[in-house]
Amino acid sequence: MEENQIIERLEKIFSSVFGKESIVLTRTTSAGDIAEWNSLNHMILISEVETAFNLKFKLKELNKMQHVGDLIDLIISKSIV
Amino acid sequence: MEFNSILFVLFFSTFFFLYWFVFNKNLKTQNLLILAGSYLFYACSDWRLLSLLIISSFINYQLGKKIAATDDEKQKGLLTTLGVTFGVGLLFYFKYLNFFIDSFSKLIASFGIHTSTHSLNIILPLGLSFYTFKTISYLLDVNSEKIKPIKDWVVFFNYVSFFPTMIAGPIDRATSFAPQLEKARVFNYENATTGLRQILWGFFKKLVIADNCVEITNNLFDNYLKLPGSSLVLGAFIYIVEIYADFSGYSDMAIGFSRLIGFNVTKNFNFPFFSQNTSEFWRRWHISLTSWMTEYVYTPLTFAFRSWGKSGLLLAIVINFVLVGLWHGASLNFILFGFLHGCYFIPLVINGTVNKNPANTTDNFFSNLKRFINRSGTFILVMLTAMILRANSITEAFHYYIKIFSKSLFSIPVLPTQNPKSDLAIIFFIFIMFILEWFGRHTDFALEKLGSKWPKIIRWGVYIIFVLVIFIFMAKPQQFVYAQF
Repeated sequence: MEENQIIERLEKIFSSVFGKESIVLTRTTSAGDIAEWNSLNHMILISEVETAFNLKFKLKELNKMQHVGDLIDLIISKSIV
Repeated sequence: MEFNSILFVLFFSTFFFLYWFVFNKNLKTQNLLILAGSYLFYACSDWRLLSLLIISSFINYQLGKKIAATDDEKQKGLLTTLGVTFGVGLLFYFKYLNFFIDSFSKLIASFGIHTSTHSLNIILPLGLSFYTFKTISYLLDVNSEKIKPIKDWVVFFNYVSFFPTMIAGPIDRATSFAPQLEKARVFNYENATTGLRQILWGFFKKLVIADNCVEITNNLFDNYLKLPGSSLVLGAFIYIVEIYADFSGYSDMAIGFSRLIGFNVTKNFNFPFFSQNTSEFWRRWHISLTSWMTEYVYTPLTFAFRSWGKSGLLLAIVINFVLVGLWHGASLNFILFGFLHGCYFIPLVINGTVNKNPANTTDNFFSNLKRFINRSGTFILVMLTAMILRANSITEAFHYYIKIFSKSLFSIPVLPTQNPKSDLAIIFFIFIMFILEWFGRHTDFALEKLGSKWPKIIRWGVYIIFVLVIFIFMAKPQQFVYAQF
């Protein structure tokens, strides 16, 4: 899957989880850029991403995630495997 | 040795002189001085259990190195589990064992089985909850490769036992604190004067407000059966102010003393009484504990429950808050306190209003009124829940609430006091604290920028007034509430 396609799907998931009409994501977007993205709903977001891309993350992988770019890389690496 | 003792003034003055004028040439010897100072500070308060602090530091230092040295994930996990079990085991033995023995005896007695169990004579080591949380987070961070293990034992031992924060926090992480120990500190006049202002504000809150409130709340709650509900509401207000002034005052002093020796310690309070919901309250109250619990307890729990959607989220929140309550002490009151705070998140999660920043953008009459109502409602909820901590038992807490929610709530409150003039003065100082905190709410602490544009003479005049108020109105010193946690 291309990076652009992943971002497009992620934008839909983010908008749905955070209840916003549309969210524009870049590789450098982080929790600090989206007011609704906090520790309380972070895992709901992760769960939605897992379902949409049909994969499972490890907690250790999530702990290292700083930006949306890290999430994209993780999705790509898991999709390849 | 407490910050508000003559002994500490002597200790810190000597330490400050040696630190900046004698041991300032070499980082290693300066760090050794901090360690010696920290152990002396601890020994003056509790010399019997200093060895436990040293042993705990040693074990965790070795474990950190061993976790990083191995590539075998299983062994990493095993060593981390060993270290975390050791830390939790210490807390369980020293803090919770008697509680569980008593609770177990009561439970089986309710089935008609009577045992001859009795409480053990266990002394709670000072600062145990704080330094154990530091070592646990260190091992978990090394395991998840967030940080490299600390090689210099002096740096690690200092991280665990740094005297300004050892007794009652803030709970610093190795990620932010260890690098400060590894590089030379340079005396910064601005940082030092900010530190002094923060210490002054901390002393004001602790000595003038918190310590004086103790007497008022003791008189009120000890005589609650004879008092109307309105008096109990007043008591609840003074009690929540007492806890806040005590703990945030201590944190301000700890951060201020750290600044004086060139360290930036994590912020612990961010004007929690101006929160618009309980979620925001917990992002502003005892920040170093809540962020610790969020990272090391709540996140793994939500990860485990993530496929359950909002129900999993709520379950994780409630468990997390019960543990926050239990961290404060071993009693059913603390557990109920935590459980209720966890439950306060239910409407927020269901409505999707658990936002980082509740809408603050508009500035008109109705949005201001809404914010005022939200803030008042949150304050009242937090205030009434804190009464559970003041009660000697859960039954007594319920009696408080029955009294409050009775007709006597609408009567004029009575203060059972021997010195009404002094009580009025304290209520006036509480009012001053709220005013200054409101206007300083966008800074680190209320006095940080107060009068920064005023002429120097007026600004210094204000500081001198604060010093005089402290000397005139300070009450009989009381132990820091959070030191017992």
